[in-house]
Amino acid sequence: MKTFTEVYAELRRGNRKQYALLAGCCFFSVLLITAYSCMMRAPTILSILPEGGDSRKQVMMIFVLAVIGCGVFTAYASGLFFRHKSREIGIFMALGASRRQIRGQLQKELSLISVATCAVGTILGAPLAWLVWQIFRLMVVDTEEMVLRFDPQAYLFSLAFSIFVIVMLYFMGSRFIRRTNIVDIVQESHKSEPIKDVPRWYGVVGIVLLLAGGFLGYMAPSFFILGLRWYPPEGLMSIFYLPALVGLYMILLQTVVNGWGGKKKQYKDLISTSMMKFQGRQTVRNMLVMTLLIAGAYFASFYTPMMGTGAMLGYDLRPVDYVYSWRDDQNVPGEAEVLAMAEEYGVTVTDITQVPMIRLAVDGYRNVEEETPIGIVWHEEYRETLASDLFFSEFSYTALTGETLGLQPGQVAAVMDSDGSGKYRFAGNASVITNFLTGQKQTVECQEIVKNEALFGHYVMNDADYAAMSEGLTSEWTEQFVAFNVENCADTYDFAKALFYRIVDSSDEKVAVLEHWDPVQRAEKIETEGIYMYDRENSAERGIELIDYDQRDSSGFRLFWKYMPAFRVLDKADFVKTMAVYLTLFIFITVICFAAVIVIAFTRCMTIALTNAQVYDDLRHLGAPNAYLYNSVRGQVKRVFLVPIIVGTTLIYCFYMMIMYFNGDPAGITSGEFAGLVTCFGVIVAVSALLYGVYRITLKRVCAALQLKPSK
Amino acid sequence: MSNFTLPCAKMTDFPANGNHFCYGERTETSASERKIIMLSVTDLHKSYQVGKNTYEVLKGITLEVGKGEFVAVMGPSGSGKTTLLNCISCYIPANEGSILLGDMELARLDEDSLAKVRNQKLGFVFQDFLLLDGLTVRQNILLPAIIGGSINQQTENRADQLCQVFGISAIQNKYPAEISGGEKQRTAVARALINHPMLILADEPTGNLDSKSTRAVISAFEQAKSSLDATIFMVTHDSYAASFCDRVIILKDGLVWRTLTHNHDGDEMQDRLAFQDRLLDAIREMGKE
Repeated sequence: MKTFTEVYAELRRGNRKQYALLAGCCFFSVLLITAYSCMMRAPTILSILPEGGDSRKQVMMIFVLAVIGCGVFTAYASGLFFRHKSREIGIFMALGASRRQIRGQLQKELSLISVATCAVGTILGAPLAWLVWQIFRLMVVDTEEMVLRFDPQAYLFSLAFSIFVIVMLYFMGSRFIRRTNIVDIVQESHKSEPIKDVPRWYGVVGIVLLLAGGFLGYMAPSFFILGLRWYPPEGLMSIFYLPALVGLYMILLQTVVNGWGGKKKQYKDLISTSMMKFQGRQTVRNMLVMTLLIAGAYFASFYTPMMGTGAMLGYDLRPVDYVYSWRDDQNVPGEAEVLAMAEEYGVTVTDITQVPMIRLAVDGYRNVEEETPIGIVWHEEYRETLASDLFFSEFSYTALTGETLGLQPGQVAAVMDSDGSGKYRFAGNASVITNFLTGQKQTVECQEIVKNEALFGHYVMNDADYAAMSEGLTSEWTEQFVAFNVENCADTYDFAKALFYRIVDSSDEKVAVLEHWDPVQRAEKIETEGIYMYDRENSAERGIELIDYDQRDSSGFRLFWKYMPAFRVLDKADFVKTMAVYLTLFIFITVICFAAVIVIAFTRCMTIALTNAQVYDDLRHLGAPNAYLYNSVRGQVKRVFLVPIIVGTTLIYCFYMMIMYFNGDPAGITSGEFAGLVTCFGVIVAVSALLYGVYRITLKRVCAALQLKPSK
Repeated sequence: MSNFTLPCAKMTDFPANGNHFCYGERTETSASERKIIMLSVTDLHKSYQVGKNTYEVLKGITLEVGKGEFVAVMGPSGSGKTTLLNCISCYIPANEGSILLGDMELARLDEDSLAKVRNQKLGFVFQDFLLLDGLTVRQNILLPAIIGGSINQQTENRADQLCQVFGISAIQNKYPAEISGGEKQRTAVARALINHPMLILADEPTGNLDSKSTRAVISAFEQAKSSLDATIFMVTHDSYAASFCDRVIILKDGLVWRTLTHNHDGDEMQDRLAFQDRLLDAIREMGKE
């Protein structure tokens, strides 16, 4: 051993674990980000998540959180590494090594570690995403559309993150060398970064700010958009969430600096509270990121149970087992063919009704947006032919439901869903209806609102009016509606699937359209703008997914085809399949966020242990028994783990409840939402149990690092 | 560099008041008596800023250490011993005054030059040994030479010689975790000497040792002095360890309060015990002020 490089290599062999930890964290973070970005940018996913839609925003938002989380835990892993290194660096400097000399060696090492781990992480990221996806396909669901395709552009995110990791390590290494103080090392000084005194009211004010910020942040967009008719910039909307962030920070400060117990408890926890206080800044920042990641992870994980429970309940609320419709210009099987097919499949149809419907233009207000110096503002513009809706005659309605509405000429009834959650899709408030082909108009009064899950989104009109308005409509404007019940519905999956396929096979390209496609809006758009974006020929170039009859089992097809039948048994059995891409993506995000939380918590706890090792040694010399020291360690580890978990979980659960409450019209929680929230609570219990297991393992490792025996 | 006479044959207690401190009066001496001053500290001031308060720790220290001398610095907590050592070690800069190492003014050096000084002109022995756990005893001893890029066969031979002098040859391939505290400190002394430093700076070298190990380390210093002509400047609380030194400088409130010189003209043991008594008397006296 004759050179400084050889000394470094010799020491590296002795500190393998520290190098492994740093390399592991860099690798893990790049791997996660690469896998996430590959998944997020995969055409398979993008085709399902509508551009500008909430789901895509949610995925992006959580991606940002994951990037922050991974960045933070890489930074802290490097901090931990440098803390381990500080003694040897201090000795080198004390013995006459120059900072330049040490910096050269350290940066050579860091460059090697970071470049190698980032490269391996980047290379393995896509295979990991693919592997996880395949496991989901194998274990959960497999559909044709779940063939995962990658976009090479995803590697740009990965590359950017890798550069961040490399630069961050380089920067932290330089900063560490610059800041290393020989005196601290040779005299074993205790480093601290205390937080200033925090008044005890911080906790309560923090909670108030957190609640107020959450409420304001959620409500502000509605106030601006609906109240002031102004689309403020995204940044402005985010400002309203700031009190929540400040509140969260204050809560964590209160927890770290003062604790939540009274004076008596304060003395009992004197050591652990004081230690945390002296590592305050980093600990609070860590806990803040963990809280946000936990919130993000739960937000993603709630998606599946909320969708699943709500959907299952919705299927049960349908009063009819089988419902479907088709345009009269299509050769879709009707009542007679259904009965024949049912016989073929041994299914007993108990009652079946086929009734006609007509598509009429309805009036309403259109939001007209304008660019102004203060941003986009909008105003309402009344249009007599705003869009189109389907109308039953009262006769048909009675045939379908057995109910008589007694509608007079000029009266219509809107069919709503039972809990009002679908009001944003169908307002049911038409006052003028128009035969779009003949131009015949009629003023109507919305007499009565009826509720029926199967007929939601339709109007019912007086029989005479129906006959009059039907005149001159071609088969593109008239439709057939079939509803029937079967015996032992749950056993009729094969029949349902065969009928669904038959319907798809009988439909031609003219009706291969998304549910947003509307002939009235189309005519208006073509007249004013010369193009209608939901026409097949225009959809593709705007990134809107096309309805493809060959992908009949895909999420995109089943969720967005305008004429998608509603067969209870099929919807229930294929729910997971239909939602496969969503489910897989959100489960993937959840896994990544919780993994980041676990790594951050673990590295933070180990940092606390290493930083305070000397203090524990001193306390031991002062005669502190093992049980006392163990309790003080447990107190700190518990706080690092439990506070973000409790705060993050409570925060997101309350926020979710608030979303659910204000989601419907009128505000309130529907039975489906309630069931979903109960299921989400179950998810919380399961994840909390997992996190508790990680907490126990971490506590054990911290105790081992401090040479403490676990005590009861 | 100016040469001062070093009449250390006569035991003298000098009250120190700034410039007044010296080894005695400058006298006409023969060339054989003339000794080289290795360290000269003049009117050294150092203060720390803690929050809004400024604490002046060194208030004008002046002292000198001649080649081959073994000097201890004692004093109560807060007297400025460690700060003085840190300034001489080039770990922290002084606010005022000068530190001459040989003829080199440390205050004028840049960071890289200071590192070079630490590596080539100074040797360090710390209370906590500060050996690298991942290196063997021999590798630890060679470390300053490796850092300085000056390792060669001569250095290897010197490492062998040091191991032999300090009685650690048998453990030179062991790791620090496998040897005793005394052995660790003797290793640290050997490490301090590997680059032929002008001055060894020892910070409480016996602070973590039992009496047997303390004796062994002091012996190591004595051997370094006698066999290798090393100059040692030691900060200590331990009057027993200090009683082996040629001279003890007692600091109080950031100033040199008194200097006691060891009389070597009688029975070695008797002289040492008498010197230790005088040290303890001086400390008692200081406590009464």
